[in-house]
Order: sequence, then C-alpha cells, then structure tokens
Amino acid sequence: MPRRLSRNSSLLTNTSRRRFLQGSAAALAGVGLSNCRRTIGETETVAPADDTTAAAPASGTLQIYTWADYTDDELAAQFTEATGIDVKIDVYDSNETMLAKMQAGGGENYSLIYPSDYMVTEMIGLDMLTELDQSRLVGLDKIRDKWQSPVYDPDNTHSVPYSWGTTGLLYNSEVLTTPPTDWNYLWDNSDVLSRKMTLLDDVRETMGAVLSSLGYSYNATDPAELEEAYQRLLELKPSLASFKSFGWQDELLSGDLLLSMVYSVEGIPVSLENPTFKYVIPESGSSVWTDTMVIPTSAPNVDAAYEWINFNLQPKVSQETVERLFFATPNGEAMTLLSKELLDNQNLFPPEDLLAKCEGIAPVGEANVLYDEYWTKVKSA
Amino acid sequence: MDKGIRPIAALTKAPTLTTVGRMLKSGIRPLGLLGPAGIWLLLLVVLPTLLITELSLVPGLRPGQPIESYGFLNYLRILEPTYLQVLQRSATFATGTTLLCLGFGFPVAYWLALMAPKRWRNLLLVLFILPLWTSSLLRTYAWITLLRSSGVINLVLTTLGLPPQGLMNTPWAVYVGMTYSFLPYMVLILYASLERLDLQLLEAAADLGANPRLAFWRVTVPQTLPGIAAGCLLVFVTSLGDFVVPTLLGGPNSMTISQLIYNQFLGVARNWGFGSSLSMVLILMVSMAIALLLKYGDRNPDIYS
Repeated sequence: MPRRLSRNSSLLTNTSRRRFLQGSAAALAGVGLSNCRRTIGETETVAPADDTTAAAPASGTLQIYTWADYTDDELAAQFTEATGIDVKIDVYDSNETMLAKMQAGGGENYSLIYPSDYMVTEMIGLDMLTELDQSRLVGLDKIRDKWQSPVYDPDNTHSVPYSWGTTGLLYNSEVLTTPPTDWNYLWDNSDVLSRKMTLLDDVRETMGAVLSSLGYSYNATDPAELEEAYQRLLELKPSLASFKSFGWQDELLSGDLLLSMVYSVEGIPVSLENPTFKYVIPESGSSVWTDTMVIPTSAPNVDAAYEWINFNLQPKVSQETVERLFFATPNGEAMTLLSKELLDNQNLFPPEDLLAKCEGIAPVGEANVLYDEYWTKVKSA
Repeated sequence: MDKGIRPIAALTKAPTLTTVGRMLKSGIRPLGLLGPAGIWLLLLVVLPTLLITELSLVPGLRPGQPIESYGFLNYLRILEPTYLQVLQRSATFATGTTLLCLGFGFPVAYWLALMAPKRWRNLLLVLFILPLWTSSLLRTYAWITLLRSSGVINLVLTTLGLPPQGLMNTPWAVYVGMTYSFLPYMVLILYASLERLDLQLLEAAADLGANPRLAFWRVTVPQTLPGIAAGCLLVFVTSLGDFVVPTLLGGPNSMTISQLIYNQFLGVARNWGFGSSLSMVLILMVSMAIALLLKYGDRNPDIYS
C-alpha cells in the first residue's frame, strides 16, 4: 500500500518543498524497481553483531533509511557532533517500497530503518529484524505506557516507537461553514463537495475509512463487508476530484478543492501555517499509526544504530525534532518539554477517548487480494 | 635435421598465422564494437526480461514465497473485464497522445525545417527541447497550476468572457499533460526527417502541375513517412508506460497499466506474479508497435540516398 506517499505539504517552506519532491521522486523511482535476486525476496540472515563490542565507542558511518520528514540535516548534525558518527540518510515513500528494497538485497548498507506498525509485524515474521538488546537501550522507560507493549510488537522486542499520527480530513473552513465531524459528512454533503474533494490514493486507508463509516473495522476481512464498502465508495466516486496521496496541496490551498483526506503529518503543518484550513479526526474514529526505529538483521555497524536510537530517545532531542517537523512523539518526557501550543493541539495529540476509537492498520492476510481487486475496480470503473 | 625442417615449418606456419590473425581481427573488431552495448543489453534488458517472464508464470507469487508451480493463471486473470478496461484506457491515452503530438508536432517541425531562418534553426530547436531539461514531475506539477479551476487557463478564459473549463482531474488533463511531455520527441524526429526532404522533387511536382496541397500529400508526406512512423512509435511507447501524468492529473477514473503494475509490486496485494504478467503484456504491446514500425515504417529506405 503506498501509504503516505510523501508526507509533506509542498507549499509551506522551501525546505519542506524540497523534501516533498524527494519523496515524490522516490515514489516514482519505485516504479522502476526491477532489481530482484533469483531467490525472490529471500532475506539473508546475518548473525547479530557481537555484543562484546558494546563497550567500545561506535564510529564510522551510519546509514539510515527513513521517511522523508522524520530527519533533517540539523538532527544529523547534532548526532554527529555528539557521537562522531557520520550519518547518511536515504528516504522512502512507502513501507512497501522499503520492504521490496530490503527483500531484494538493496538495503544491506542500512543499519537503521523506520517501518510502520503493521510492517514491523510483517518484517518480524520474515526474520528481517534484529531482536533488540534491551540492556543497550537508554530511555525506553520514558515512552508512554500506551507504547510500552504495542500490539504490533509486544514488549518492543524488535522496535522502538518513534512517532505516531492519525488520518483525517483537512478542509477549507471559510467555505465549509458546517465543518465536517465524521466520515458520513462526505456522503451527506456530496453536492457541495462535488469534484472538490480528494481521498487518499491508499487502499487500506480509504477502504478503511469507508468500512469505518459503515461501523466495520479498518481491518475487515469479511468479503460481504468489503463488498458493502466498495459499493459505498462507488456511490461517493462521482463527487470525487481524485484519489491523491500527494499533489493535493496546490488545489486545496487555492480553494479549488474544499476537502482532502490526509495523513496528520501532512495536514497539521498546513493547518498551523494557514488557519483557513483545519484538520479534523472523524469522531467515529480513523486510523492511528506508529512508526518505529528498527535494526535490520543485515545491518552493518549495529553499534552506531544503537547510538542513534538512544540519541533519539533523549527527551530534549525528541522535543526539538517534533517542534521542527511536527509529528506526535510517544516519548512522555519529551511531551512535558513541548510548547503549550503544540501540546494543546488536539489534532497532534488527540484526546484519549477519541484515540480509543481509532484503529491501527494491521495485516489482513489473504484479504489483501480482495482489497486490491476492489481498488482497481474503484479506480477504473 | 632441424635445419632442414625449419624453413618448411616457417613456410607453412606463416600463412596460417596471418589467416588466424585476420580471423581474430575480423572477430575482435565487431566484438569490441558490440561488446559493451551487448553486455549492457544482456545484463539489463535480456536477463531481467527473462526473470519477469519466469515470475509471470507463477500464479499469485508474493515476495518471500518459494516458487512452487508454474501456470498461465496470471495471464488469464488479465482477461477479466476490470483489467482489460485498464489496458484499454492505457492504449487509448497512448493513441490519443500520439495523434495529438503528430497533429501539433508536424507543423512545428515543418516550419523549423523548411521555413525558419537558417541561422535561428538550432537555437529554436534548443528552445523546443529546453523543457526536457527539467524534471517531468515538476512539469506535471506546473500543469496542476495551469489546469485547476482557478488556474491560469481558466483565468484567461474568464477574462476573455469565455466559460471556465473543469479540465483538472479529467482524462482531458491527461491528454494535455502527456502531449506536452512527449511533443518535443515528435518534433525532433520529424525535424530530422523533414530536413532531408528533397526540395527538387517538390519543384518537379510543381512543374508537372501539382498544386501545393497535392504536392504536400503526394511528395512531402510520403518522403517523411519513416520519420512520422518513428515519431509516432516513440511517443506511443513512452506514453503507454507513463505514470506521472495520469497519477497527478487524471482524476478518480484514471488507472493505467503502469499504476496497476505499481500496485501489484508495491501496493497492498504485493502479487509479483500478476505484476510480472502485466509487465509482460506491456512489453508485448510495445514490441508489437516496434514490429509494425519495422514492417511498415521504412518501406522505402532508399529515398535518403
């Protein structure tokens, strides 16, 4: 699933625009992927690094493979200054792109990657992740209780939660005077929104939202429920401008679109820069996701990877990164350092009762085929 | 004994050496010339294609799975109406784009090759190719700005008192974007072809009483037919596999074969088997277009001599 194809808004600042283009370029480069070895996707299991080296200071270069907007030059520079380790960062645009590259053997240089929740589960199943040596992690106790033993990786044996967010609706509050509060708004106001709204070009998010609006789970596998969701999405389709995970910014900011379904990482920065645009999490619940830091089994320089994880677990570092890049941190102590303005932003840190209604997207096994078939039908009917 | 044999050996040996040398030389020279490109093609075209062919024959192959059995199920699945519709849409987009490029490109190339002042020609050509130096992604984003409801095009239209058009997120936007993207290729190829046009033949046609229109259709067009065919082929092939334009400009009904293939490899299904069979179909469609060009495109190659 091309989840969060590029999680940036292009019109904010020059740097975010540049990062955005990197993301999209990576997305498009993914199309040309054809580099796979004879044993399709078989991963090499490399013996975990010798733990006796733990005492020696890490050095050399750390190669990181991450989303476009989780790291910036400043973070890398701070890390290099603190540890003497050089950082090289490559970005990907979707979990699937990352997985494909790792499976094809193109990711052997990476010591650290940032998969999302469901991808952590999947990669553990594929034996691609190193079991973390808990004694080498400093500051994991500062992570909020909610993330101490997440469903996707109980007890955080293979991953360290880094950020989290939701999916919601970003809308033009000047035109839409009755603001959307829930998914049903899209169907109820399809005349006003006609060809002025976009949904994510992301099967699981968009089908999930429709399923959610019908009272089903984001991770439904029952063919009857999926069929019902497909029909309901078809109903909405004549009013859709497009399915877009990126490229909606221009049209939304110019007023040509009134509403876009977006990931919070992209929506919230727009709403902070321009009060006309408001981000809302549908009250019946949307999807909530967590991105993590993991060490692949093929990783060189494991010591440097541990250094990076511990560096990012520091509340001060986490707080500063969040204030630059606007994502929600699971680090409880970092939250106490955050500016009141960000902390009070209910979109960034939604209230517990709303969060309780949100669901994490989980692997659906064989139902993937059905999701994909319905998606192709939706997009070409 | 030795002394007696040596000259004979030398005599018999000498011609053999030169023959072998000649043979080696005649063998090495083409090898040296073709080798680098040959290895390139072998490693990056032939082998991957063979690999895709193999994967396409494994029904429902997902990465990480062992290959268990072979079959044609992936190909049969393409025949389902949903997927045929996607294929048909891609072919329609590509055909339409090709015709539009030919329609817009021919007059431009004609003017550049035959009517533009000679000393400006190269500069004009460079100007025409200039957009190709920027990323196609950027150029497509620029079209969003132009095409959207309150965009530049509608601003011009409403200023002129004309009704605004809802072009963005429609198939028309795809045609506009793709035609723009691939027009320079068409113009370049047509220009190369028109530049070599034998003007004496046109004079002869005029002498024999043909009016300019007749001369154009009976002399100019047949002479540039190979160029037209090559240009059309290039545009057709590139637009058939285009991903950026339909994704960004196309609206909710714009799934093309390249997006479908993307979804099979990196989307939710991760069905590499089906994705490979779709890729094979794309390769086949392109090969057919090239075969048609080889058969009909250059019927009369001696016109250049």
